[in-house]
Parts: sequence; C-alpha cells; structure tokens
Amino acid sequence: MNQVLQSAAEHVRLGWVLGVMTVFFFAWFVGWTVWTFLPRNRARYEEAARMPLTDGGDS
Amino acid sequence: MNSTLNLRANASVYDDDIVRKFVAATVLWGVVGMLLGVIIALQLAWWPANLGLPWTTFGRLRPLHTNAVIFAFGGNICFAGIYYSMQRLLKTRMYSDAMSAFHFWGWQLIIVAAAVTLPLGFTQSKEYAELIWPIDVAIAVVWVVFAINFFGTLAIRKVRHLYVAIWFYMSFVITIAVLHIVNSLAVPVSLTRSYPIYAGLTDALVQWWYGHNAVGFFLTTPFLGLMYYFLPRAAERPVYSYRLSIVHFWSLVFLYIWTGPHHLLYSALPDWAQTLGMVFSIMLLAPSWGGMLNGLLTLRGAWDRVRTDPVLKFMVVAVSFYGMSTFEGPMLAIRAVNGLAHYTNWIIGHVHSGALGWNGMITFGILYWLVPRLWNRELARPGWATTHFWLATIGIVLYTLSMWVAGLTEGLMWRAVNDQGLLATPAFMDIVHRLAPYYWLRVTGGALYLTGALMMVWNLLETVRGARPQVQAIPAPAAS
Repeated sequence: MNQVLQSAAEHVRLGWVLGVMTVFFFAWFVGWTVWTFLPRNRARYEEAARMPLTDGGDS
Repeated sequence: MNSTLNLRANASVYDDDIVRKFVAATVLWGVVGMLLGVIIALQLAWWPANLGLPWTTFGRLRPLHTNAVIFAFGGNICFAGIYYSMQRLLKTRMYSDAMSAFHFWGWQLIIVAAAVTLPLGFTQSKEYAELIWPIDVAIAVVWVVFAINFFGTLAIRKVRHLYVAIWFYMSFVITIAVLHIVNSLAVPVSLTRSYPIYAGLTDALVQWWYGHNAVGFFLTTPFLGLMYYFLPRAAERPVYSYRLSIVHFWSLVFLYIWTGPHHLLYSALPDWAQTLGMVFSIMLLAPSWGGMLNGLLTLRGAWDRVRTDPVLKFMVVAVSFYGMSTFEGPMLAIRAVNGLAHYTNWIIGHVHSGALGWNGMITFGILYWLVPRLWNRELARPGWATTHFWLATIGIVLYTLSMWVAGLTEGLMWRAVNDQGLLATPAFMDIVHRLAPYYWLRVTGGALYLTGALMMVWNLLETVRGARPQVQAIPAPAAS
C-alpha cells in the first residue's frame, strides 16, 4: 500500500465504520425476517395477500 | 374520453383513462423499439442494412433501440400497471388528474425528443443515459411530478396496509430519481453538449452504479410489483407466501444497489470494490429465486388453466425467464466467468433473456389481461394470443442460444494463444466472420418475436375498435 493510502487508512478508520454498518444492516435484515415470520403476524399477512383479489370487482 | 385538467375530476371513480393512454403508448413504442432491434440485428449480420447514411448506422440506432424498449415500452407498461393497480389497492383515485396527464404527455414528449436527437447524433455517450442534458432535465421534472402524484395518492389512500406491490413501486419511483439525477449531473456548454462532472474512474463507477440499477430498479422492481399484482389477479389466487414477498423486497433492494462494479471487473477500479460488486451480485441470487418461486407457486392448483389461458402462459414463461436470467447474472458476475464473457455477445444474450423473456413476456400477459377489462370487451382473437406466445418463446430461445454460442466462440478465440504464446487468431476480422451464422439466427429470433408482437397489436386493435369504456366506481374499503 502506498504512503498516502496508508496514512489515509490510519486517520479515517473507515474499516470500523464499514464493519459497524455491515453488522447493523445484517442484524436489521435478520430481525426484519424473524419479525415477518412471527406466528402472530400470520393472519394479518394472509389477509393482506388477498388484497388484489378484493379490490375492484371488475373481473 | 373524459380527461380533464381538474384536480380529480370525479373522486368516486377510478381514473382508467390514464391507464388506457399508457397502454396505447406501450403498444406503440413496443413495436417501434422491437423493429429497431431487428434492424440493428440485421445490420450486424448484413452491413448494407445500415443504408450508408449517418442517421441509420448502428451506433445511432442502437441507443435508440435500447431507450425505446426500456424507457418507452417498459416505462409505459410500468406506469399503466401502477396507475391501474395502485388506485385499486388503495381504493382511491390518483391524487391529481393534472399531474397524471402531465406525466403521460411529458413522458411521450421525452420519447419523441429521444427519437429525434439520437439518430441526429446528439448523445452524452453514457450507456442507457445517452440523452442530452435538456432532455435529462425534462426527465427529472416529469419524474418528480410523477413522484408527487404517487406519494400524494399514498397520502389520501383509504386502505391502511400497503400491499407488497406498492413497496416495489416505491423503490422504482425513489431510486430512479436518485440514479438519473446523480448520473446525469453535467456542465452544459451549449444546447446539445455538456460534460459530466465526474472524470475517469469515478465517472465509470457512477455510470455503472446507474447502469446496473437501471436494470434493478427500472426493469426489475416495478415489474416484480406488477407480477405481485397481476399474477394473483390472473390466477385468481393469492400470492403463495406474502411473508416471503416482504423478505424478497427488502433483501432485493438492499443487495441490488451495490452490484454495479461487476461491470468493471479487471478494470482500474480498486480490487476490493470489484469484489464487493461481485459478492453482492452472487448474493442477489437468493432473493431473485425466492421471488421467482413465490410467483410460480402462486399458480398451485391453477396449472390446468395454464394449458388454455394465454395470459397465464405468458406470465409463467416470464417468471421462468426471470429465474433463468437472475441465475445467469450472478454467474456472469464471478470474476473468472466475466473474464471470458465480458465484451462478448453472451452479455447481449443475457440481457435479452431478461428483457424479451421477463419484461416482454410479462408485459404481453398484462396487456392481454388488461385491455379487455379496460375497454369492456372480450379479446377478439384468443387463438392469436396463443400463437403470439409460441412465436415469442421460440424467438427468445433462438436469440439466447445463438448469442451464447457466439459469445463463447469469440471469448475463447480472443484469448487463444499458440505454442509461442502469440494470439492464435491475431486478426479480429477472422473472429467476426465466425459469428455471422449466429447473427443470422438472432435476426430470425428477433423477427419471430416482432411478428408475435405485431399479431398482438392487430388483436388488441380489433378488440378495442368501437368499444365504449365504462367508468368503474370505487368500492368502499372493507371494515378492518
């Protein structure tokens, strides 16, 4: 690594920011997925799935 | 025709007039775009087809073809489908009739401007963003008006829950605005000329961040929204797993936005950024296939109808091609595979398996479903729709197979070396000659696809001739 990049890396510590962001977004994704599949949300989403079928009565 | 410039002429009925307009524009520009595609395919197989005129050479007609099929054909069907489905899902008329009309006429004017400037040679020379800066400004204005109308409609909705299709539409509205504005930032020096504010590698990265997300957020997310609405409607069954569709949406939009650098593998782009683009592209296989399976499994218990219903035939093949091209994409994004495939016709084959197979086929399916409902008439020739389906399917197979073989042929010949380490085929022209049969096969495939589309135009025109469209009252939202 050249000197400019080396000193930039030491000062900015971008790796930390990127690492925290990665963990944050991954946790968010896992959390969101788990929440979506919680049994108590089942009925709500099954009702939502029927929305296109009950929306205009033109078919 | 009851289009007026009042804000919501009649708030108790759906605005289907705007949907009919966008449908008509889809059909018109679809034929123009596909015809241009066949012409430039012919030019590659038989050069005299460029007519020896600057305006009709490949370099000018190719961007006109891509702009026409993506933004005119693809754009108009997305707008038609969005205006039709969001009013019904939200049980409200669009926020503003004037904005809907401005959106429609503005977008068509932009298409006409593109059709004039590109053959004249006015270009910004960024792929899929060729249009010169005054047109770029017009696109931004029209898009922002569309966005206000879209979010205004969300604000006045009568149904609280936003069905998953609406989320896919939202990602389309927001992301395309950001992509278009950021990638088109330029300093104008005359009415037709400008210089991008980015230089060198930054320019390349911004361009492919835009370019690949045009695929992601213009040709994928709005079409997935259409799939999540029109496939259940046509199959008369709710989507297989609504919860999977939520995971599909969030994982898809999170991953897609990072995949652009796979267009810059083996370039001056830092290695880590190339790897980032590659890894995110490979991960994208998971949500893509989750969505594909969700679409196909929606047809559980309705497969017998696929045998007889041309609408479902088109949609099933569309979703299958979505699956195939989203398997091929991650594979092509792997460095070693890309080293062979980049700059070859394989890439053209890949793009068309997505564009003709996924975007085109689902558009045809939606048109055959929507037009009889919008004009209150039975489809004039259902048999022709089935013939169209087979012509299109055979056309796509010829197109993709010929381009795979052509791509592998040239990719392998470019890198082949002899015992002394010298290029085995040093004359580029010798490789081009080898591709001629495949170019003719592609012309044949494209012509079949276009023939099917022309049959559809005739069929739809016959269907709507003399029809008297009826206004549809907005039903009261169900108590929840």
